[in-house]
Amino acid sequence: MVSRLELSERMYTLRRSLNEFMFFLRHSRMTQVGIALLSAIVLMAVFADFIAPYDPYARVGNAMEPPSPEHPLGTNDMGQDILSELIYGARISLFVGFVAAISGTLIGTLVGIVAGYFGGVVDEVLMRITDIWLSMPMLLFTIFLASILTKLPSFTIMVSVILAIALTSWPGAARVVRSAVLGIKERPYIEAARAVGSSDARIMFRHILPNTVPILVVMVINRVAGAMLSEASLSFLGLGDPTAKSWGMIIHYAMIRNAVMLRMWWWFLPPGIMISITVLAVVLIGIGLEEYFNPRLRR
Amino acid sequence: MRWGVSAVKTYLIRRAIASVITFFAIITIVFLLARFTGDPLAELEDDPRMTPEVLATIKALFGLDKPLHIQYISFIENLFRGELGFSLHYMRPVAAVIAERLPYTLALLIPSITLSNYLAYKIGIECGWRRGSKFDIAMVTSSIFLRSVPYFWLAILFLYVFSVELGVTPLFGAMTPGNRPSLTWEWIADYLWHYALPFTVLVFRATIVRVLYIRNTLIDILGEDYITTAFAKGLPDKEVKYKHAARNALIPIITVLGLRYAYLIDGAILTETVFSYPGTGRLVYEAVVNRDYWLLQGVVVILASSVIVVNFVIDLIYSLLDPRVRYR
Repeated sequence: MVSRLELSERMYTLRRSLNEFMFFLRHSRMTQVGIALLSAIVLMAVFADFIAPYDPYARVGNAMEPPSPEHPLGTNDMGQDILSELIYGARISLFVGFVAAISGTLIGTLVGIVAGYFGGVVDEVLMRITDIWLSMPMLLFTIFLASILTKLPSFTIMVSVILAIALTSWPGAARVVRSAVLGIKERPYIEAARAVGSSDARIMFRHILPNTVPILVVMVINRVAGAMLSEASLSFLGLGDPTAKSWGMIIHYAMIRNAVMLRMWWWFLPPGIMISITVLAVVLIGIGLEEYFNPRLRR
Repeated sequence: MRWGVSAVKTYLIRRAIASVITFFAIITIVFLLARFTGDPLAELEDDPRMTPEVLATIKALFGLDKPLHIQYISFIENLFRGELGFSLHYMRPVAAVIAERLPYTLALLIPSITLSNYLAYKIGIECGWRRGSKFDIAMVTSSIFLRSVPYFWLAILFLYVFSVELGVTPLFGAMTPGNRPSLTWEWIADYLWHYALPFTVLVFRATIVRVLYIRNTLIDILGEDYITTAFAKGLPDKEVKYKHAARNALIPIITVLGLRYAYLIDGAILTETVFSYPGTGRLVYEAVVNRDYWLLQGVVVILASSVIVVNFVIDLIYSLLDPRVRYR
């Protein structure tokens, strides 16, 4: 149980760090732009039901119509409204991006903490595996994993895609967390915890893990950008879920229906712009957070 | 330098052993993933025309009726014999399909990795040296922006602008349909015409992503004591820039060259798919679309092995360039 005093103390530190962050935010134009862009896209995803003019899976017009007042971005080969597809697509792209990034970072954190804390042979073996994985073409293995995971009957396509991205993107987090743990584990309070007989698991997850949170936040944010791009690439290559159209998936359909040759720019340009804006927003927030947690980077 | 030879030798032997371990780790992962996620003949089992007898014969033919460790050993044996399985889509050995496609990809990757590193080095050094200048800010901003653009979509943009709207480059392929590779000027011109756009996309993207790293490396180096010393000695700026700063920025660039190669393979998968370029990258896409798992597995093994070989060659170059390896 957390005592009352401890709770109020925690509230105080929380409020102070929040104030500090707001102060930082006021001076970081890049982070502001990033947060504004990302919030706009998240709002669009949440309120897609109210914003989108049509159901993205319903046949609401003729096939391959050019832009018109009824369909501002035209229709696709199935007569579905492309603008509505775009608005609903935000849900899938954001969801897969965030879930895959968080899972990947969790795997990496686990590997990193165990390697850094135990050291010796465990560290040697885990870091060798991390290095091998890190040196491989990531997308190639993500494609390989996604295409064989979808074969498993218990996995839906979306779960396979998320897992494939998570399983190929953890090494970065593992390296960063490990080096942080190496510093943290030398601190006196860890020795004190060991002296009173805390178990390894307790020290790792109760005393070391909370100290890596700032790094983890930055890692997750940076990973979201990568995961969204990976999801888009997988969908573009036809590995996405056909019943959940992400932005990458829209481009996939546009490509196999020859939208580029037919000069239907309203079909393949907007989804790419949406991906770029969202990834850029996340990258800007990531740069801001890195500066916030690591003041040496500030200019 | 005679005293350093044995140090180089031990370094290279260590790296060679590490490469072999990496190779076995990768093929083991590939083997286990491919086997644990279901059997490669699952597609055939669902086929109503298959009788249990025929299926059993096919299984025996491919050794799929044997226990896992036997399968693993024969998988490795076959690998060393250059047998990667059988492509059910092309109805040809996987090795033959890959051998036909690999030259196209290597001809894209090797020049583009060279040119993109050279360009990124030149631009990155300029940015780092003139940190905060208009040129630097423009490069940093465009690097951050272009990093956020999906690789394949950038390729689509190039295809749309240059091939469809302007019509100066072809729409697809590595050569005009009907042409056969031959050493005539006509064919070479046709090949280069098809080569230009995928190559440009790969170089453009790889350069842009690279510039920031080299710039930051140079900025770190400019903060070192030996640079201050060089300035204090009264050396001209140009000499400090090229002989002291830029030259040291070369070492971290070479150490990550292997990673760049791996990154370009990813790029080639997407770029070749967009331009319908018949290399191994496009083969990945074709294997995925046709659910040709043996082919996919073969491409993964070959491309991963090529990464290991490239990494080893880079270690070799590195040991020649960095004297610290020799004197360790």
